[in-house]
Amino acid sequence: MSDTRLKAPDKLNGETGARLFDEARRICRKDIKTLILDLSQTRDMDSLGGAWLLKIAEYARRRGGEFKWEGQPEAIADFMAMLAPALKMKPRPARKEPGMFESLSDALTGAACEFAEFLNLCVDAIYWTAVAPFEGKGFRFDAFLDEAHEMGVRAIRIVCLMNFLLGLIIAMLSAKQVEAFGMQIYVANLIMIGFARELAAIMTATVVSARTGAAIAAELATMKVQEEIDALRGMGINVAQYLIAPKLLALLVVLPCLVTLGLISGLAGGAVWGVFVLGFRPSIWYQQTLGAAYMDDIIQGMLKTVFFAIAIALIGCHNGLRVAGGSRGVGLMTTRAVVMDIFMLICIDIVFAAIFYYLLG
Amino acid sequence: MEDIIIKVTDLVAHYGDFKVLDGVSFEVRRGEIFMIVGGSGCGKSTLLKHLCGLMRPTSGEILFQGKNVAAMDEDELAEMQHTIGIAFQSSGLFNSMTVGDNVAMPMREFGNVDEALIDNLVRFKLSLVGLAAAQYLMPGELSGGMRKRAGLARAIALDPALVYFDEPSAGLDPIIAAGLDEMILKLKRMLKTTFVIVTHELESIRLVADRVLMLDKGKVVFCGALDEAMTAPIERLRQFFDRRPDEYIT
Repeated sequence: MSDTRLKAPDKLNGETGARLFDEARRICRKDIKTLILDLSQTRDMDSLGGAWLLKIAEYARRRGGEFKWEGQPEAIADFMAMLAPALKMKPRPARKEPGMFESLSDALTGAACEFAEFLNLCVDAIYWTAVAPFEGKGFRFDAFLDEAHEMGVRAIRIVCLMNFLLGLIIAMLSAKQVEAFGMQIYVANLIMIGFARELAAIMTATVVSARTGAAIAAELATMKVQEEIDALRGMGINVAQYLIAPKLLALLVVLPCLVTLGLISGLAGGAVWGVFVLGFRPSIWYQQTLGAAYMDDIIQGMLKTVFFAIAIALIGCHNGLRVAGGSRGVGLMTTRAVVMDIFMLICIDIVFAAIFYYLLG
Repeated sequence: MEDIIIKVTDLVAHYGDFKVLDGVSFEVRRGEIFMIVGGSGCGKSTLLKHLCGLMRPTSGEILFQGKNVAAMDEDELAEMQHTIGIAFQSSGLFNSMTVGDNVAMPMREFGNVDEALIDNLVRFKLSLVGLAAAQYLMPGELSGGMRKRAGLARAIALDPALVYFDEPSAGLDPIIAAGLDEMILKLKRMLKTTFVIVTHELESIRLVADRVLMLDKGKVVFCGALDEAMTAPIERLRQFFDRRPDEYIT
């Protein structure tokens, strides 16, 4: 092992730098102690020349040696002074991949922490929505009205349209299936029971989660990134009281209303097919529809909307407040909120189906 | 004429009905640090956006290396923008990438550099702004001053002839701001880059500027060497450099 010297050209650029690197590789075939670069002839250096210098230093270190330079003239002294830290820097150690148990433990710990955070948020939100206002701790009624308008009134058209089209599709599909038996009038029963128990609630909640759940997550995430959440906390304002409670209450109020409108729209969609295509008189279709469902069917459809509303609002808030990083974090958390919302809607629906169809008969 | 890199003639720009720039004319010489100064809302940042082609003027001419930026089509504009660097006030770093990948992005997109050398070139650029150790950090992990320097490293990634820098010292403490000024001077010396800097930081102007353009209500109040700016008997200029509020104007 010995010191090895390398002479740099008068002009160090992309071309001469590449040649210098080849020369360094040629003379460093054996293990070296120190590679010394003689810069005494170098009068000019550009960015590519500097990049080749870093590559040569990296190469020398990989060969187990040290990289030094000497004799730099005034013309490139600034360059070398600024490059010095990078030239002496040790290569980045390779990242150690965690083992299977380590990954599993990290995932479980992460999930447990997130669940604890979510529970904490739920308790806070429910307290500031349902308890604190009655203890005289205040509720932002103006914000509630704004949110109700945004989440409810502005969603009416899309909710009605989606349910109407779904009613139309189900009428088309089922009428075709029962045509051979001459039982097309029972399409009205199918649509009434289907929408009252399941479809109006699940379709409306899906539209609302994509629209409102995403908006809640994006709004809170952006506020967090721009330190507005910290500003609220810094002023001693409770985030759950100021931001979450109006949203939660607004969704609790508007979602059942939207589901009711969704139910009417779905029935209208089915009726359009029944009257205009299947040729039933409107009064007959109307009587058949009304006679198909009991109040219980409508109540169980409406009852789950309360849980849907809580899930959409709190999952949106939870993901929004968990954001890390900048704009990409906002996008990721918004997507996550919608995916979690839809998954949770299905879970809640399964629980209700199990309770009403099997446990209660 | 050869040492003129930018020549602006009678530039007029509007926001709706409001005239932001009113007959602005000046020249920037190759290799100098040209500072655009003035109070808040005087049109500095708007002028900078017109110079780098991010906004189109109502009328007037902006010649960059002899070509009129105001009359360029989209392709010509994109080609021109590959030859300049822009460092934004809030750095404009992409939060989804590491600092190194931010700097490498223009090299990969537009540069003619071998992929094997890009990593070293990125480290070189980061070394020039004193951030070699931050190559693998995410922008969110950097302080305000480091973000500005990383933004500057990205702006000089392709060795542009000209760098536009919007408010380099805004929001930084005096030590970091002085370090950034020092760095701009070094980069000018080493890379022979022309800098057009928008600022209202008096210390930076005194330390860094070769020539100064002062705007007031969209009009040019003064354009000339720093020494002249420090002594010229122009009330608005004196008020600016002496830090006097408006009510003291007689």
